[in-house]
Parts: sequence; C-alpha cells; structure tokens
Amino acid sequence: MSGLPDTAQCRSLLADGSRLTVTATRRPRLDRADVKCGAAGAPMLAERMLTVVRLARLTEACFDSRDQVVISIDRRPGPHERDWELAVVLADRMVRGVYRPQAPVLANGWSDEWQLGRVTGRDAIDAPPHALLGGPDGLAHLGMLTGQVDAAAAVATARAWFPLHSGGINDSLCWVEVSVYPLVREGGEEEDTIAVPGLDSTQQLAVRRALVGARHFDPRGLGRWRSVVRFGQRSFHGNSFELALVMADRLARGREFMPRGRIIATGCSSAWHAGRVDPVDCCEPKCALMLRHAVAGDRILLPAAWAGAIEALVQAAAEKGASVACIERIGII
Amino acid sequence: MKAIFKWPERAAPADMSALGAAVIAMPVHSGCAVPAACVAVVIDSGGRTRRAQEGSRLQLAPGEAAYAFHPGPYTVDLVPFGAAPELGLRVGFAVDSADPRVAQQRFDLFLASEAHGPLALAHFCQAVEAALQRALAQGNLELPPCTSLTEWNAFRAGFNQLLYMRFGVTVEECVPVDLGESVDFAAVLMARTLEQAPVAQLSLSLPLPRALAAASDPLSDARALRRLFLELPCVMCALRLAVLPPGQLLFRRHQDLLRRLDLVSLAVSSMPALELSAPGVALAKHEQLRRIGHSRRAVAALDEAWALLARVQIAGAQQLDALFDDGARIVANLEYDLGERRMVATENQPA
Repeated sequence: MSGLPDTAQCRSLLADGSRLTVTATRRPRLDRADVKCGAAGAPMLAERMLTVVRLARLTEACFDSRDQVVISIDRRPGPHERDWELAVVLADRMVRGVYRPQAPVLANGWSDEWQLGRVTGRDAIDAPPHALLGGPDGLAHLGMLTGQVDAAAAVATARAWFPLHSGGINDSLCWVEVSVYPLVREGGEEEDTIAVPGLDSTQQLAVRRALVGARHFDPRGLGRWRSVVRFGQRSFHGNSFELALVMADRLARGREFMPRGRIIATGCSSAWHAGRVDPVDCCEPKCALMLRHAVAGDRILLPAAWAGAIEALVQAAAEKGASVACIERIGII
Repeated sequence: MKAIFKWPERAAPADMSALGAAVIAMPVHSGCAVPAACVAVVIDSGGRTRRAQEGSRLQLAPGEAAYAFHPGPYTVDLVPFGAAPELGLRVGFAVDSADPRVAQQRFDLFLASEAHGPLALAHFCQAVEAALQRALAQGNLELPPCTSLTEWNAFRAGFNQLLYMRFGVTVEECVPVDLGESVDFAAVLMARTLEQAPVAQLSLSLPLPRALAAASDPLSDARALRRLFLELPCVMCALRLAVLPPGQLLFRRHQDLLRRLDLVSLAVSSMPALELSAPGVALAKHEQLRRIGHSRRAVAALDEAWALLARVQIAGAQQLDALFDDGARIVANLEYDLGERRMVATENQPA
C-alpha cells in the first residue's frame, strides 16, 4: 500500500450555497470497525454515511480488512438533504486509491441504489462547471468515472478520453461518451440513428462517418443500434478524437476488452471500414499530456506510426501503472 | 429364516454415458467398475484421496466416496468481462495425467472439497468464468483493449497457471472468439428495459432473489468450512514450496505468512457449530446468517489465495514485493472473517 495518501478530501455544495468538506483518513485497523463515520452532533447523519459507504463498497472487486477508514463531515446539511452522499463515497474511494482524481473534487449526488453503484440524481442547481454531478445526465454510475459500462442498465454507456492540445495552459483530456440502445424498427440509413447533440453540422457529419465506418468493419455492428454521442467540451478542432470515439462505441456495444481504468486514445483514420488507424499531428506534446493525466490502470492507445518515438512514454507509464499500445488496426488483438 | 446367502447390496449401474461430454465427474458406488477411459478418485472421510485406474472394481470402505472423471478434453466459451457479452474466450482444457512430483493431484483435491454429486461441465464453466472475471477485475490478469501479442502471451501464462492452481486442469488452447451468434447484446438490453418497468411497482411482493436464498443456506456454511479445512493445509504446503530468491527480509515475510496461515488453519479446525453460541445454547437466526456470510467470504479469500499462488509461481523477482503485500491482505481477510465467524455478539443479547 505504498504511494497512497493517508488523507483525502472531497467537497460538496449544500442547498444554501455553502460548501461542506468530507475528510477521509486511513489508519491501521487493530480490531476496530472497517468504517467509522463522524458528524458533530448528528448521530443520524453519521449512521446514514456509514450505510452509504458500506453499500457502495459492495461494488468493489478487492476487499481489504487491514485498514480502517474514518470519515468526517465538517458542516451539517439540512435534515432532508442527501446531496452529500456522492462526496462521501468518493472520499472513501480516494483514500484507498480506488479512485485517483487529478484535481480537487466537488461532487454532488444521491442514490437509492448504492449497492449497484448507481447514482440516482442530484439537487444542486448552480454548480460550477468542473463539479462532478450525479444523475442520468451526468455521472449515472460509479464505473463511469473510468468509462465503464453499467452491467445492469438498459442503456449501455461508455466513455473514452482524448487529448485536447492547443499548446496553451488549457490542454486537457476531454471525454467522449457513446450510449447505445437497441433499434426497434430496422431499415433506413445507419447515419440517421446516430445523434450528436451540441456540435455543429460539420463535426456531426465527421462523427457519424467515423462511427458508421468502424461499425462496418465489425461484422455485426450495423442496423442494430440507436446511438447518442456526447462530448465533454463542445469546441475543438481536428479529427484526432476519432479513435477514442470508436473505442467508446465498441465498449458500449460490448465488443471490446475492458480496461481497468480509462481508455485514453488519439488517432484518426481515412479508412475506418478497414479498421485502419492513421497517425495524427503533435506526437510529443500529446504524449506528454496523456502521460501527465494517466493513472494506474489506464490504457493509452496510439497510432502504430508513433511506435518509434515513444519508448520514454512506455517506461514512464509503466511506472505509473498504466499501459501503452501502438495499434495498426482496431479489433481483437 | 436367516439370510445366510444374501447377495451383497448392489446399486443399479448409473448412467455414465454423459461423462466426457456434459459431465466431467460423477459419483460411483462401491462394487462398480470404473468406466472406460475414466479415472476414479476415492475420497476417504478425512479428505485424503487415492486414484483407481479404468476397468478396476471399486472396493470402498465405510465413509469413503468415489468419483469417476473423464479427462477430456473439453471446450467451453468463457465471457471474460460481464459488460462485454459478445466477446468471449474459447478455452479447451483437459485433466492431465497424474503428476508424480506432488503428493496429491490438485484436481483430486478439487473433487474432494468442492464436488457435490455430478460435476456438470456448465457448472464447472461458471466457476472458471467467475475466477477469470475476478482476476481481471482485480488487475491480477491483464486483458486490455487492443491487446498486443506480448500482453496476450503474458495473459495466457497467467491464465494457464491460474486454472492449474485453482482447478487442477490444464489449458490446451485459448483463443478470443466473437460470441455474436449465440449472444445478442441488443436483445439483452431490450429484455432489461422490459423487466425494469414492472419491478418498480412489485418490489415488495417479489420472492427472495435466488442469490439471497443461497446466501442464507446453512449447507453453504458447512461446505465453506469443509473447503477451508481441506484446502488451507494444501495452500500452506504450496506456499512453503514456492521458490524465492535469497534474502533475509523476504524470508521473514514468508515465514510470517506461513505462521499466520497456520493459525488460520487451526481456527478453522476448531470452529464452533453454526447453530450454537455455547454448548447447549442456541444462537439467534440473524446471528447464524451473519456467520454464514463470513464463512462465505472466507472461502472467497481462499480462492484469492490460490490465485495468488499461481501468480507467485510465474512472478519475477521485482514483483514479489507486491505479491507478498497482496498475500498479507488475503491472510488478514481470512483472519478477520474467521474471527467474525467464531464470535458471538454478546452486546446484542438481553443481559
């Protein structure tokens, strides 16, 4: 358990606009309870926190009885407020290294089904843009933090990340999300079943072309799905998002191996129907950007043409626990 | 009239035709001959096993049970990720001939501790799939998207070793396959849509889910304890035999793990009965449920211990540190769950 923090903090907005801080600390267990929750003067709140944390832990793959996690909350939310629940769950995951965010987290959300990892909704209205918000239009499932598909939901949604590089301080990773659900009435053009809300028409066309091409490469991709594609940011140029888009689509359709963390990919293609991946510009700055944001378990996918220039990236990523692959074409192996 | 010339009781010969196809192993009675192309494993009351070759007639002492198994090969399709049902691995495996270097074959131990009645191929396949999915979810095996050939070979080595250590079977071939003909993910999603609508209204009147019913079965506690009782000594034995690079620190950690496993094994063999809190004092029903839950979790930790042994055997020297840390976690989980299984919560009882 080296390299893990002893303390983690997560913030949340209250209904009156003030912020509360959830602090989680980890210490050796020594025959104590696995989780201990504290809220000054509010035993019922502490009880609810304990229930939420225990339920959310049921969705984790690895059980460790060696540590005790102590969680405290610094303000008292109103008697019927539940929007702090997501912050408590995330703080508990951060202190054990299950979730490793890059920046301080502000999270709002509540759920009736923490045992399934679902986040049912949120109450916060005027949250800042960087906030992590639960609910169907935001973070609907805890696995979505790493882009995973909810294994019990009726709509399969997966995310992949791609680097947004402009050479400034705003360089970051942007996610692309593909949701698919079964097409009831068959027939018609595949491009008509793909909705891309929020982009201008040129980019919509590019997204549809890439998706249709990649599904054509797949023996049973066409004519089965209605799809919605969303992007984390709306203003970007170029077509280096295409590989991330295609990978998210394959994840959502259940036809790709799952990474433990996120997929971070950059690449485009002029022939998706053949499954080929072509190189894009700006190899070095993009690699540096991806490396900076990668955490343990992440999978970095690059075009095969970059294979000669990235030994340092492979080394550094392996030290962080992420893995890198240069791919010539999509598909299994 | 005294029955002097009574014929020995002879059971009707069971139908053994499914062996080698849909069934891997079947119980056989005393006096029956071992079917052709099969091997019999005789298990005595203490869990020790011996083998009998095909064609021989089984003579079982009281308290002994015997299984005949067909060595295969078998072919199954596994789904490595629950969320990706259209992508599978086609795995061909067989039960190898006996390895003369070990005192007890792993597959014999598997039959002794986990088989109850006929061992169906489908049931075995579920267990293998669960072990594979768990190893992938915990990051002990890696099968990332766009797997390269090196990564695939590393996966294969780990998977072969996992199946050998955990189930005693040898993987002969393993290839990724498209399960699109048999599984339609779109239809699965559609079925989920249809079943989610009424559940919201009927949630109170629904019967207990099957998993919950199985979780409260007292038999599962007995089976879990039997597995721990039989397998923990073998886990210790395998860990003791693990080849480690020289070094005082590593030696100490190794000895420490063995010592703690010894105590865990002792705790299992002196475990109190499920339904008693003290001699002659019955235990409340909800406390029994709690005990069942903890023994089931202890068995999950035992499965992780076998998976860890498989990793130790193919690990390089630089991975041993992480592996021993994981071993300490597994042993701590075993200690914790067995301690909870033994404990009687006194504060809840009326004073």
